[in-house]
Amino acid sequence: METSAKKSLRSFYWTWVILTAVGVGLSLWLPRRYMPAAMSNDAHLTMTTMILFSICAAPVASGVYAGALHVLRHHRYRGDGVPPPAPQIRESTKLLTSWITASAILTVFVLVWGLGALAAENGSSSSNPLVVNVTGQQWVWTFSYPGTHVVSDELYLPENREVEFRVTSLDVTHGFWLVNMGVQVDANPDVITTIHTTPDKLGVFEVRCEQFCGLNHAFMDAVGYVVTPQKFSSWLSAQPARA
Amino acid sequence: MDRSKSLGVALVSVLLGGGALALGGFVLASNTPHQKALQCIESSTHSHTCSVTLSTFPDSLEGVHGANGGPHPDWVTYSNDNVVVPANTTVNMTIDQYDTGGNVNNPFFDSVVGTNGGTAAVNGKVVTHVALGDTGHTFTLRGIPGNGKTLFVSVPLPYNFGTKFPVRLGTGTYPKPVVVKFSFTTGGPAVYEFNCEFPCGGSREGNGFGEAMQAFGYMSGTITVK
Repeated sequence: METSAKKSLRSFYWTWVILTAVGVGLSLWLPRRYMPAAMSNDAHLTMTTMILFSICAAPVASGVYAGALHVLRHHRYRGDGVPPPAPQIRESTKLLTSWITASAILTVFVLVWGLGALAAENGSSSSNPLVVNVTGQQWVWTFSYPGTHVVSDELYLPENREVEFRVTSLDVTHGFWLVNMGVQVDANPDVITTIHTTPDKLGVFEVRCEQFCGLNHAFMDAVGYVVTPQKFSSWLSAQPARA
Repeated sequence: MDRSKSLGVALVSVLLGGGALALGGFVLASNTPHQKALQCIESSTHSHTCSVTLSTFPDSLEGVHGANGGPHPDWVTYSNDNVVVPANTTVNMTIDQYDTGGNVNNPFFDSVVGTNGGTAAVNGKVVTHVALGDTGHTFTLRGIPGNGKTLFVSVPLPYNFGTKFPVRLGTGTYPKPVVVKFSFTTGGPAVYEFNCEFPCGGSREGNGFGEAMQAFGYMSGTITVK
């Protein structure tokens, strides 16, 4: 016959398994539902990383919640007055070894994956990227394309070509954020910061400032378009010459 | 004190505290000065067309900021910070520019962008840009008001080289204005923000984007499309 301790332990394990399954389900569903639609290699990598890390965290978080529920259910003091001293917890070498090993594996995996993703996002994969100079000033973004006469308040990018953004500011610190591209970098006065991405999906995306930069910070946004290379060339040619 | 009494006291304290904060916020919001909305006057001859006139002044003596220029009589200002225009309408805008000028810090703002035809008329002459160093202010209107629609209009308002001051408005005297006319077309209902991109606002670490550039009602305002 099963002892009461074994029964309660079994209910703890089942709670853990169920909560982990719910956590994994949410990890797969929530990022896709609530993160901006990915339109670049970096945004896809960010999305994958977010999902993977959430899945890794699910059993850990679920273990904590299952443990808390188990304690509340089976070890709650129901008497009056001050509870008597709890019985001494005996260590379990098997449990400790399993817990520490699993935690170490998860942590090392997250570290290695994270460093790899960081290196992939920071690196350049093309010898001929499209260079776009990005200038922030209170409270407008402007984009210029070296080698052309084009300066625009809208950001046009060709599909499937690496883009190198050279970001700076004319006044205070702004935050250059391409919401759907996984690109976010400070725009600092007198400093040019370089960041790369490769748009891989046609469509419209948002450009925002994500550093509070003054009175009209909330209005400091612009529209971006990922278009085919042919349309991009046509757009460049159609822009008026600036004085 | 028993538990239910303690909870009751805590609840009443939280409600009283929240109520006091709400009352304070309401009083402060009520006392914040708002300029009267400047309505775009609809044309009697052309449908879906309206006209509105703004001015830019080298000081705040014209009157909208209160007697003798209000708290900052020496700050540059637009004549109004609250403009209302109809939706899906061509807005014929006139801006009387009374101020001097210089160099914008981004040459993009020397050019006319986003107007109908891509041009503006300066004292009757059609232009696409202002000569380098001759910009007084800019009228730069933009925003994405959460509905994906965008509007971007930027028009340089040229340097006013006038040396005589025959125009008296409020308690200020000004040269004859440089008259800038342009039009743009609104979309659906939204609130957009306009401001000046010429560094005219006094020092903010020396970049000219302080003071009047950082205060509502001076070199910035909203255009509400209704």
